[in-house]
Amino acid sequence: MKKSIFAAGLLAATAAAMPAQADKLDDIISSGTLRCAVVLDFPPMGSRDASNNPIGFDVDYCNDLAAALGVKAEIVETTFPERIPALMSGQVDVAVASTSDTLERAKTVGFTIPYYAFENAVVANEKADMADWEGMKGKTVGATAGTYEAIWLEERVKEWGEGQFRPYQNQADVFLALSQGQLDATVSTVEVAEANVASGNFPGIKIVDKAPMVPDYVALITLREEYGLINYMNLFINQQVRTGRYAELYKKWVGEGEPANLTIQGVYR
Amino acid sequence: MFDTALTANDLMFLAKGAGMTLIVTAISVVFGTILGIIFGVIRYQVGPWWAAPLTFVLDIFRSIPLLIQLVLANAFVTMVLGIRISGFAVACGVLSLYTAAYCAEIVRGGIEAVPQTLRRAARSLGMTWGQDMRNIVLPLATRVALPSWIGLALGVMKDSALVYIVQVVELLKSTQILITRLQEPLFLLLICGLFYFLISFPVARFGGYLEKRWSND
Amino acid sequence: MFNYNFRWNQALNSLPQMLEGALVTMEIAILSMVIGISIAVALTVFRLSGNRMLKAVATTWVEIARNTPALFQIYMVHFGLGSFGIHLSPYMSLLVGIAFNNAGYLSENFRGALKAIPDTQTRAARSLGMSAGQAFTSVVMPQMFRISFLPMTNQMVWAILMTSLGAVVAMNTDLYGVTSDLNARSFRTFELFAIAAVIFYLITKAITLSARLLAARLFRY
Repeated sequence: MKKSIFAAGLLAATAAAMPAQADKLDDIISSGTLRCAVVLDFPPMGSRDASNNPIGFDVDYCNDLAAALGVKAEIVETTFPERIPALMSGQVDVAVASTSDTLERAKTVGFTIPYYAFENAVVANEKADMADWEGMKGKTVGATAGTYEAIWLEERVKEWGEGQFRPYQNQADVFLALSQGQLDATVSTVEVAEANVASGNFPGIKIVDKAPMVPDYVALITLREEYGLINYMNLFINQQVRTGRYAELYKKWVGEGEPANLTIQGVYR
Repeated sequence: MFDTALTANDLMFLAKGAGMTLIVTAISVVFGTILGIIFGVIRYQVGPWWAAPLTFVLDIFRSIPLLIQLVLANAFVTMVLGIRISGFAVACGVLSLYTAAYCAEIVRGGIEAVPQTLRRAARSLGMTWGQDMRNIVLPLATRVALPSWIGLALGVMKDSALVYIVQVVELLKSTQILITRLQEPLFLLLICGLFYFLISFPVARFGGYLEKRWSND
Repeated sequence: MFNYNFRWNQALNSLPQMLEGALVTMEIAILSMVIGISIAVALTVFRLSGNRMLKAVATTWVEIARNTPALFQIYMVHFGLGSFGIHLSPYMSLLVGIAFNNAGYLSENFRGALKAIPDTQTRAARSLGMSAGQAFTSVVMPQMFRISFLPMTNQMVWAILMTSLGAVVAMNTDLYGVTSDLNARSFRTFELFAIAAVIFYLITKAITLSARLLAARLFRY
C-alpha cells in the first residue's frame, strides 16, 4: 500500500521533471551548473591545496568546460571505483577523472575522444629487490581498484601464477601501503609516481621501470546516450589542443616538456 | 608524533565532516524513530500473520550490509528511475529506513513487555485504546525500550561512516582526504576515532545508567 | 517508464565467482566469531579479576570496540598497525578487525549474562570442592552462553554484514570485494549488487535459522 503510493509519487515526480525532449546538454545549460566527478587523490590531475580546495589538471579542465558552456562548475570528489557509479546514478553530469577508454566500459558509458594520455611506471618500496618491471613477479603488488593499471597488473599476477594482487580503494591508500612496506610494488601513471616521490610524503619508495603497457588514453565520460553532450565535449577537447590551452595546463600541472600526442598514427578516430 | 602539519584550517575541515556525521545521524534517527514506532505498533496490533509482509521487508534491512543497501538504493533511484537526487538525500533515506527496521523491533519488544493484565485493567476502567496506549503502554514501554534505543542511535552514528559511498563527505571521509594530503595516517585516524568515542562513550554510559536504574525497581 | 536497460545475463554470468566470495565471507565470519568468543571470555574474566591492570585492558578494549565505527577499526588494523611495521594481509586485517569488534560486544553481553547467574551457585560449586576455575568453566560458563545465545546469534549476523567493509583494506576475495571488483569492470552496479544482496540475505537467514535449531537442541530441558 505505502509502496504503491510512493511509486505513484515517484512517477509523478519523474513525469514533472521531464518536459519535452531536453537532453543533458540542455539540462546543464538551463540548470546553470556543470557537476564534474574528479578524483582528488591523483596529483597532479586532481588533489587539494592547503585549504582543502580541489586543484589540478582535471579540476582546471572541468572549469574550462563549464566556462565554455557558460555555467558554474561544481567539483564532486569521487574515488576511482565510485566514479562511474556516481555518473550512472546522476550524482554528476560528466566525469573529468582520467578515465581510460576501455571497450568493456564503453558498453555502459559514453566516451569522448582522448583528452590526455598516460604512461605508467612501476614504483617499488626501496626494501623490495627489484631491477625492472618483471621483478614484480611473485611479489605483493597493488593498485587503485578499477583503474586501467589495476586491471593490467591483476592480469599479470594471474599470468605469473605467483605473488598477490591487492586493489585499494584509492591512490593514497596504495602509496601509504607501499610506503609502509605492505606492498612491494605498484603500477601508477608516471605523473602520479613522480609527484608522489617528489613530495617526500611517502618515504622509502622509488621508481623502478616503465610498465610495458599500451599508453593509457583517457577520455571524458558521460551517459552513453547523451550524444549532444559527447559531441560538444569532443569539439571542446579539440579546441583545448588547438588553442594551446592543453599545452598550457600541461606546463602548469605536469611540468616542462611536450604533452602526450592525442592522435593515433594510422587510424581514423 | 605531535609535530604535525595539521592547520586550524584542516581542523575546520574535520569539524565540517563531523557536523555532516551528526546531521545525517540526527535526520535518520528522527525519521527512523517515527517510522519505527509506527511500524512497531502496527506489527504488534495486527498480529504476526497480517504483519508478515511488513516483518519481511523490515527484516531485509537488518540482513543486508548497509553498504550494499546504500549502493543499491542509489543505483535504483537514480539509474533505474532516473531521478536527480543528492547523495545526501539517499544517505538519509536509507539510514532512516535502516533505523526504522531496528526501532520497530525495539518498540514491539517494549509494548510486549507491558503486562497484558495491566492493559485489560485499563480498558475495563473505560479507557479507550488511545488512552491505554498513551497513559499505560507509553510510559512503561519507554522504560524498557529507551536504553536499547540509545544504543540504536549510537549505532546509527557509527554506521553513518559508510555514507561516503554515495559521495557524502562525513567525518571518516574527511579524515581520509586529509590523510591523502598530509600523510599522517595514525595521528589523523586517532583524532577521528577520538571524536566518535567522545560522543558515543558518555551517551552509552548514560544509557547503561538508565538501564540499571530502571531495572532495579 | 524505465530508461534503464537491465542486463541480468551479464551479471548472472558472474554468479559462480560471487558464490565463491560468499564462502570466504562465511569463513571470515565464523573464524571471527570463534576468535571473538574466546577473547570475550578472557576479557570477561579479566573484568571480574581483581587485577587492575587486566581490568583496564579489558575495559579499554570493550569501550573502543563499542564506541567507534567498525570501518574505523578495520582501517586502523591495516594502516594503523602498518605504521608500526606490523603488516597484516587484507584477509587478516579484516578478520582481526571483525574479531576485535566481536570480542568487545560479546564481552559486554557476557557481563550482562553473568549478572543473571546467582553468586550462590559459584559458592555452592566451591563448597563441593571445585576450584575457582572449575566453578567458572563448568557451572557459570555454560549458563552464560545460554543466556547470551540470542545476542551471540545477532553478533554472528553482524559479523557477516561487517565483512562488506573489507574493501577499505583491499580485500577482494569476499562477497563484497568480488562484487565491487566486477562492478569496476562492467559497471552493472544495480544488477551485481542486487545479486549480492540476495546472497547476503540468504546467508543471514541460514544463520539465524540454524541458530534457532541449535538452540532448540542444546537448551532443551
